[in-house]
Amino acid sequence: MSEPLLSKTQGGDPWKARIDRVFARALVLPLFLALALLSWLLLDTLYRSFSVQVVRSDVGLSQTFPLGTAWQEALKAALLQEGYTEEEAEAMLKDPKELRALLNQNRVELMWNTHEGPLRYVVTGSYDERVLDLPLLQGLRRWEELKAGLGEGERLVLNPWLDQTFLTRFPSRNPLIAGIGVAVVGTVWVLTLALLIAIPVGVGTAILLEEYLREGRLNRILEVNLRNLAGVPSIVYGLLGLAFFVREMGLGPTVLAAALTLALLGIPVITVTAREALRAVPESQRQAAFALGATRRQVVFRVVLPAALPGVVTGVILSAARLIGEAAPLLLVGAAAYVPFYPSGPLSEYTVIPVQIYLWVSQPQPEFARVAAAGILVMLLVLSGLYLAALYLRNRFRREW
Amino acid sequence: MELLRQAPSRNPKEVLTFALLVLLGAVTLLTTLGVVLSLLGDVVEFFRRVPLTEFLFAPEWTPLFAEPRYGIAPLIAGTLLVTAIALTVAIPLGLALAIYISELAPHRVRARVMGILELFEGIPTVVLGYFALLTVTPFLQKFIPGLQIFNPLSAGLVMGFAIIPYVSNVAADAMQSVPRAIREAAYALGARPYEVALRVVFPAAISGIIAAIILATSRAIGETMIVAIAAGQRPTLTLDPRETIATMTSFIVQAATGDQPAGSTASLALFAVGATLFLMTLGLNILAQYVVERYRERYE
Repeated sequence: MSEPLLSKTQGGDPWKARIDRVFARALVLPLFLALALLSWLLLDTLYRSFSVQVVRSDVGLSQTFPLGTAWQEALKAALLQEGYTEEEAEAMLKDPKELRALLNQNRVELMWNTHEGPLRYVVTGSYDERVLDLPLLQGLRRWEELKAGLGEGERLVLNPWLDQTFLTRFPSRNPLIAGIGVAVVGTVWVLTLALLIAIPVGVGTAILLEEYLREGRLNRILEVNLRNLAGVPSIVYGLLGLAFFVREMGLGPTVLAAALTLALLGIPVITVTAREALRAVPESQRQAAFALGATRRQVVFRVVLPAALPGVVTGVILSAARLIGEAAPLLLVGAAAYVPFYPSGPLSEYTVIPVQIYLWVSQPQPEFARVAAAGILVMLLVLSGLYLAALYLRNRFRREW
Repeated sequence: MELLRQAPSRNPKEVLTFALLVLLGAVTLLTTLGVVLSLLGDVVEFFRRVPLTEFLFAPEWTPLFAEPRYGIAPLIAGTLLVTAIALTVAIPLGLALAIYISELAPHRVRARVMGILELFEGIPTVVLGYFALLTVTPFLQKFIPGLQIFNPLSAGLVMGFAIIPYVSNVAADAMQSVPRAIREAAYALGARPYEVALRVVFPAAISGIIAAIILATSRAIGETMIVAIAAGQRPTLTLDPRETIATMTSFIVQAATGDQPAGSTASLALFAVGATLFLMTLGLNILAQYVVERYRERYE
């Protein structure tokens, strides 16, 4: 339907006109409700990702340093205090392996606010303990009081849980130093492999259905099958992956098993969007190419597919965004494992961002909710990037035929 | 299309391309086959150990206990409870939005509304589960005494918002395919816009609207992360939305993240529950297609 006919009706029963106005407003209400919920979710997640903490370090490194010192210096000073000699500390910082180990156990980062003043480097040890974890506003209100009451070895900090090192740190049982690094790398691995499989299959199926078999029995079978596959809950794909890829094919809980599972999930989605893009290319284009003596293959791959490409790419990006957020099927094919290292290939163990978030949410310690909030912010940022890219492509290459 | 009916080419390149495409298309068929086969093997083994009557009629689901019971009724009750709560939210809101999109929204606003819905659809469900557990539940606990930390109420409410787009997109499509002439006829008889929307377009599109609701139900039944996080993992045969429950999907997650050895009856139960879930959603999807085809108003 084009423009609604609303404006054409005038006069008549004033009560009915009133009902009409109320009706029109009531219909938009759900949209505002949904938007309100969405803003509540975002603001709440953002707020939860900050807290004011009193942290005690019994063992390990615990230092804060003013701005201007390189963080390596901060780490070195902390090592010296720890009892290492000057040379040992230097050597540890120079050896990349040692350094990585140090950075995994000790978090060195810029903190916005500490009891010793704003913007300092803080070194946090893996054995640090939380004494107090307060919501942002409450913590700021009690800042002076808390500062006065600090005990031996205790620090007062404003902790932005989502900071630059959160992205590279490893998972940990200590919420203070848990990071999302492994999950980010795992997501990149799994998603890339899954798309490598799902794009050719999905786009190929779309071409088959739209350009080769527009009717006939094979078309009917494939259509019905696709429609049913699109309705299968994603967790059932997880069961398929568990039975078939993990156990039957003996892949175990690896990146490859996850990628195959995710690819199967993505194929119907990619097929549907690619078909829409192909359908949008007008028949006249095909007829013109045929009239010039092109074969079907030439028509499809030199005329129709290039013309539909922006639409196909947009569809693929949106499908990728959908796949990134999928946690349920991957929980069944091994993503729930505790993986303290980066995946190094298709056959290594892995975890992905949404599963990592699920694991954090199901931890009993309340600070893991803050870690989860930081993880969610990372995931939402990635997703909004993808949506913006899709939006840009859609507008940039939109063609009116 | 006439052009597509031309004689098949014998050029090897052409034949090869076609064969390759058919091969790619066959992957989707193999997927379906794979789903069925992977479920079937373990399900048969499960029912060799647990009688079907136990599965259907036993009142308890405790596969991890020393004396396990395998009655799926509590899981189905939990699933239906959450689904009912979600639909109570999603049907009125989704249909209202569908009427707005199809009948009232000006062109540009319509595109924007669809964009917002797309965005809403794109939020990972693990995020919604986190939101239900850590924000909505504490909020509701202020008003509802006896509300457990894990409860189907907040999971269902949040899930209701998550499936609004499924209701509104399909229903709006159905309403938009009602021909303009019918609306114009109604306006010519002096009907107001709300009368046209509710008494002309809505009944004319009813098959598509029912299909939209059925599809949303199927989504809600298969939704996993929201319930696994916020509704709990304790199978209880209850209709009280304040109690902790378990759904079919949350049991699958629980069993999969636990550590039962492969081949144990408890791990086979995973597949029995998965098969039940698969059959229920497949049945609903087929029903939706049937409703659309059987009850569609045809216009010349």
